[in-house]
Amino acid sequence: MTALASGTPQARKRRPDAATVLLGVWGVLGFLFLFFPVLVIVAYSFNEGRLLQSYQGFGLGAYADALTNSAITSGVQVSIYVGVFSALLSAVLGSLAGVAVARRAGARWIGWLTALLGLVMVTPEIVNAVSLLPWFVTLGTEWGLTPLNAGIVRLIIAHSLFSCAVVTFIVRARMAGLSESLEEAAADLGAPPLRRFLDITFPLMRPAVISGALLSFTLSLDNTVLSSFVSTADATPFPVYVFASIRSALRPSIAAMSTLMLLLTLVALALVAIVLVTARRRTGEGMSLASTLAGG
Amino acid sequence: MTALALPAPRTAGRRLRWSIGVLAAPITVWLLFFFVAPFLVILWYSFGRKPSLYVTHANDVLSLDRYVEALNPTFLAVFGRTLQISLIGTLLCLVIAFPMAYWMAVKLPARLQGIALALVLVPYWTNFLVRTIGWQIVLSPTSFVADISRGLGLGTPQLLYTPGAVQLGVVYNYLPLMILPLYVTLERLDHRLLEASRDLGANALETFRRVTLPIVMPGIAAGLLLVFVPLMGDYITPSVLGGAAGSMVGQQVATQFNVAQNWALGSAMAIVLMIAILAVVVVFALLFRLVKALVDRHERVAIVEAEA
Repeated sequence: MTALASGTPQARKRRPDAATVLLGVWGVLGFLFLFFPVLVIVAYSFNEGRLLQSYQGFGLGAYADALTNSAITSGVQVSIYVGVFSALLSAVLGSLAGVAVARRAGARWIGWLTALLGLVMVTPEIVNAVSLLPWFVTLGTEWGLTPLNAGIVRLIIAHSLFSCAVVTFIVRARMAGLSESLEEAAADLGAPPLRRFLDITFPLMRPAVISGALLSFTLSLDNTVLSSFVSTADATPFPVYVFASIRSALRPSIAAMSTLMLLLTLVALALVAIVLVTARRRTGEGMSLASTLAGG
Repeated sequence: MTALALPAPRTAGRRLRWSIGVLAAPITVWLLFFFVAPFLVILWYSFGRKPSLYVTHANDVLSLDRYVEALNPTFLAVFGRTLQISLIGTLLCLVIAFPMAYWMAVKLPARLQGIALALVLVPYWTNFLVRTIGWQIVLSPTSFVADISRGLGLGTPQLLYTPGAVQLGVVYNYLPLMILPLYVTLERLDHRLLEASRDLGANALETFRRVTLPIVMPGIAAGLLLVFVPLMGDYITPSVLGGAAGSMVGQQVATQFNVAQNWALGSAMAIVLMIAILAVVVVFALLFRLVKALVDRHERVAIVEAEA
């Protein structure tokens, strides 16, 4: 009997059933599908031809072009600058709101705020983009808010809208799992609100804030639609440059710079993973990367 | 004594809560000023008109004429195609993503799951536009795919700038947004429930229908929402892969602002798009609840019968 019982799982392990094999094949095909165009871009970044679409032989010329083309390098600079500042802005706005939403979950106005954040997340980007363009023009020219005429400022604001909602939900997910008693204890011991926030609340939510900020940074680097509407000629982020060259001609240098940017994004993602893993190891709980990226 | 002692901590608690509530003020102001206000502005523009060639909008005469103009046959045709591409694309994403997410969460050993998840995320965090250009390279008449096709004597295939190319592009671009929420819910699925169901004599299909599916439903709903909403407003994928044959409604809105300089009409189109998306989401949510209520009732009856 025992031999039979222990034999069965072994047999199952040795020969997985047909359904598992099919699922595995499906999964691997799915990954190939997901990676296919990325690999194509990486392969074509070594294209020596003049046009991206027609492969004319292997070489690193595209990388040299990408790093010397001032439109591309300044585009990447704008992208990174906007990414950093919109990530910082979203992190500050989103973490403050995340704490409030988690701690005051029952209040009616929190319900309204959550609905507003949800609306920000489900509004199609194109609607957002076409509504921001006239608004920035109105504020900058008619109301005399001249900073809003600068493309960089417009980009930072535009990118912060979606990101601050994302950060709010990530921080809320983190804070909802933590007890309020520590903060109450600090209050009972006479700590003023700011001290309480810096000593107790912020350290607890730090991993969520950092991963939210890095997420905002990558979202900002990726953004094309909002950027192409609100950017100005003197501040053109890299994706907007790429989008504009689709109408004229795509050069291999675009694939080369995209490959370099992919490496940058991978570094950012690896940082998120490290932050989350260390946080989980230290506190014994926390969020998985998946639930973080899926918005808590 | 107890009654006397109680009010003090309650007030302290309330003060603490109130000061925490203030933390949400900055984001509220920020979103009201840069999200709600601009939206109200285009809502206002949509009731106006384009007075002359060089002026983008005017609100001297208020009417619903721009909505009538927006709902012209061309726009409606593009809108219909957008809705079709979006619905088919969302369903295809679900069909492709579900087995993948199930395999990742249930069949893969725990140590490989993190790697599998990273493999889903890496393409997702590659620039959306650049990935789409990757497909443009593959589908173009000068690509290696076309070379293979010519080598096999099939001639040069016309793949790029077709509605099919857009359909492929959107399924590809939004697939990770379906996989992630499905994976997150399936990961929480307790394997013992599946074993219990099997031990109680349910076959694979019955276990799937009565144990797995109800647990995964919230993930499916989240995935459908995450894919459908941005897909409806997509403007990059059809611009890169669709050409004239595969244009979508987002491009129509953008054209009114970028090219035609008719902000009144563009605003009306944007509002129509927004309302349509909300309507589909609401209808979907109601259907979802209805189906759930029906299934619940059915299951409850079944349990009562089993007990009797």
